[in-house]
Amino acid sequence: MSDSDSGGEPDRTPSLARRVLAPFADRSVAERLVISLAAIVLSIAVGFVIVLVSGRVAECSTAAWTMPATGMGFCYDPVEVYVVLFNGALGYPFAVGEPGLLNPNWSPFNLSFGLTLSETTLLIFTGLSVAVAFRAGLFNIGTQGQLVVGALATALTVIAAAPLLPDGPIAGVVLILVGTAAGAVGGGFWGAIPGALKAYADANEVITTIMLNFVAANVAYVLVLEVFRAEGSSVVATRYVPEYAQIRPWLFSASSDFALVALAAGVACIAGLYYLLEHTPFGYDLRTSGVQAAAAEYGGVNAKLTTVRAMTLSGAIGGIGGSVWVLMSEGRWMASVPDLGFDGITVSILAGNNPIGVLPAAFLFGLLKGGALEIGFQTDVPTELVGVLRGLIILFVAMPEFFRMIGRYAGMGSGGTGGVASTASEAEADEAAGTEGGEADA
Amino acid sequence: MNPAVHLDGITKRFPGVVANDDVDLTVERGSVHALLGENGAGKTTLMNVLYGLYEPTEGTVVLDGEPQSFDSPRDAIDAGIGMIHQHFMLVDPMTVWENVVLGNEPRTWGGLRVDETAARDAVTELSERYGFDVDPDATIADISVGEQQRVEILKALYRGADVLIMDEPTAVLTPQEVEELYGVFEELTDQGKTIIFISHKLGEALSAADDITVLRDGLNVGTVSAADVTREDLAEMMVGREVLMEPAASPQPPGDSVLEVTGLCVDDDRGVEAVSDLSFELRAGEVLGVAGVDGNGQSQLVEAVTGLRSATAGEIRYRGESIRGTTRRERIDGGMAFIPEDRHERGLVMSYDLTENGILGSQHDPPFARGGRLDWRASRDHAESVIEQYDVRPPDAEATAESLSGGNQQKFIVGREFERDPDLVVAMHPTRGVDIGSTEFLHDRLLDLRAEGKAVLLVSSKLDEVQGLSDRLAVMHEGSFSGVVDPATVTEEEIGLLMAGERLDDGSVERAAVHDDGAGEGADA
Repeated sequence: MSDSDSGGEPDRTPSLARRVLAPFADRSVAERLVISLAAIVLSIAVGFVIVLVSGRVAECSTAAWTMPATGMGFCYDPVEVYVVLFNGALGYPFAVGEPGLLNPNWSPFNLSFGLTLSETTLLIFTGLSVAVAFRAGLFNIGTQGQLVVGALATALTVIAAAPLLPDGPIAGVVLILVGTAAGAVGGGFWGAIPGALKAYADANEVITTIMLNFVAANVAYVLVLEVFRAEGSSVVATRYVPEYAQIRPWLFSASSDFALVALAAGVACIAGLYYLLEHTPFGYDLRTSGVQAAAAEYGGVNAKLTTVRAMTLSGAIGGIGGSVWVLMSEGRWMASVPDLGFDGITVSILAGNNPIGVLPAAFLFGLLKGGALEIGFQTDVPTELVGVLRGLIILFVAMPEFFRMIGRYAGMGSGGTGGVASTASEAEADEAAGTEGGEADA
Repeated sequence: MNPAVHLDGITKRFPGVVANDDVDLTVERGSVHALLGENGAGKTTLMNVLYGLYEPTEGTVVLDGEPQSFDSPRDAIDAGIGMIHQHFMLVDPMTVWENVVLGNEPRTWGGLRVDETAARDAVTELSERYGFDVDPDATIADISVGEQQRVEILKALYRGADVLIMDEPTAVLTPQEVEELYGVFEELTDQGKTIIFISHKLGEALSAADDITVLRDGLNVGTVSAADVTREDLAEMMVGREVLMEPAASPQPPGDSVLEVTGLCVDDDRGVEAVSDLSFELRAGEVLGVAGVDGNGQSQLVEAVTGLRSATAGEIRYRGESIRGTTRRERIDGGMAFIPEDRHERGLVMSYDLTENGILGSQHDPPFARGGRLDWRASRDHAESVIEQYDVRPPDAEATAESLSGGNQQKFIVGREFERDPDLVVAMHPTRGVDIGSTEFLHDRLLDLRAEGKAVLLVSSKLDEVQGLSDRLAVMHEGSFSGVVDPATVTEEEIGLLMAGERLDDGSVERAAVHDDGAGEGADA
């Protein structure tokens, strides 16, 4: 990690935390991309060692890899693990170990790539949900709950509305649109609750959204268990929505649970949100509230209303994620909702809370998901170990962004009172000197 | 004898900026030395080098003939340097002596217990030796700002300081307290201590210091003896050219009532009443100045008028209509411009560029917002026009607010608010941190607005500013006006008394009432 930009960090500050965090707060976009790539490489290096060590500890009949010269055998081959992880997630486009760079039989519409893109699509919505709240200065941990509620609203609405329309593709399109709208309303409602609690009762949104996640999961569970459970079903799940009301996979195989239309909708959502944030007065209000609430208030922004609106919007996007999960992946609501909302938090952090950044971040998550499945098919490496490798990559990539966010949150870097502020404005230097002097005196 | 402090060729570079450029400074033992300059001239940076907060890029710090190398303020303190910051570092609920010894407590029981008797005695002894009139057992929250400052000085002395650096020591004091501070200076220097104080006020440097060093743009312009220079000489050294000292407001008859405040009460953040039963009227084409020591309710008054804080009682009428309960947005749309006191918190979004900052407050209004989208081209044109008219440097609409110096940030805010075509301008410290040349320009613009028939509520801690620009001058103390006077005839001493909360005899109040054309509701002394 190059330190050239802040090499002349002027503060001789006594606080270790400040010294560690301040450089992260000032990174440019390009630097952050380079850092992310370096982090992936570094995490792979660490992962190599872990795979080797666990391969030495594990027992197996034939060694997958033997160290030259020593003859020491290892049960897992780290090169193979990572090749399968990344190459397998795409359906093996690269010809590894065979002549030529590309695999001539590769088609993008394969099962593994479909699984990767399916996960990517779902995480685009939950990542955007977290990101939009974050841009307004709100930490929405409740995307999971908003997704659960949105998903249930979608499933119930489509199941209830289906008999009213004649079967067929046109009814399918109508049902998908109505179902998605229901998901947005359901998720939006679930997001508006903590928003209103924050605005009008000063309740911390981190706490309320976490609590509402449990409420959503359990209320939905009981509702389906007692009222909407499909007859004869062995799991807690609703009936399937009619097949024509599910989002069609088209080019991809049905078992990959992926539809290009949904991915396109996700990308459109990214573009729409980017436009909303950067090119509309509402986006300006929302961003300003997020970076500097006092300035927003000065500029005539209604802080309470903006909080409620941002949380509602965030919840609505999470709810649409739930709709896509029902209409694209499962075809019904079922109690074992995957942790898409929680992964959305990490996706958003990876993306620096920028809608555009959500696309590559969600794709990285999708890759790791698809690759992990592929490792399970192709090798003897236990899924737990694959989980560790995924976790390593995410941890390494997310940490610099995470530090950056904490740094900015704590008012460090040039936006705050320290750092380069002292160069230009003496008033700010005064403040920096004030706090530092205080620490030194104490 | 070696000088107490000698800075030899100090250069301090930050990325992209040279804050100090080969500055020499020699301070004789037992003298008071003023470091004078505009904000951004590099005074504080230089003192932070001396105090060990910054390592100089080039040059050395020499104390009493010994070259020093400080890694932290701790080293500087050990070498006998003490620094008193503008904002005091005191623990309010604790007593004076506890604050003084904090962090360096004498110990007993093998270091486990604070030796309270020894600590208290040491503080009492110090306080008496320098003739400081502070009670060691008083709680910080209960004593005046001037006394708190003396506690800060005691803290430095207790740590063995021989050289005391004071950053803008008079900024928070009433004129009377300033006089007392000068007395403290004398007592300290008589006993061999050396004082360096940072200031941007000419008069203060002239009356308190033995020697004055003027910094401009990071360069040492020169060191002069206070006895040999005039205000005009110093101003010229600071700015680099001759300056007009006094803005001039020509008399003009006030117009219709624009702002009418009756029985206003406002609480501060802690729920304590900060503005009590305040009444005044402000007319078109009139400047009402509000003077006073910071923290006497000025902030809360201004926030209540501009819609950032709700009043607990009373009435605010704007152009004849009650605006109590209307939102900030409605007041902006109603033609109220507001220059806030805190440009870093409120006036600017520090991470936004000037184009984005230029529409703060107008983000929902044409020409910037049209059909639900923001017109960034119009916004940019607007920012560039403000930058050009108000001489904001660097002239780059894409520069972030945080990259500008304090004075340029202020010019941009003032420009943005003045160009709103307001009916009422609420200006709080409009020229704080702005250099003399630009201050003149901003004052002229303010008077132009007045001539155009705008009403101006001007709150400032600069006495010459409120006195020179106002038609009427109200002095605020503990939430109400201790007097409304005629700025043309009132003396600095009278203002000082009013700032300390004393009411003047009837004579001077009547003078003001006459000038008000009977609109002196505030003068209820």
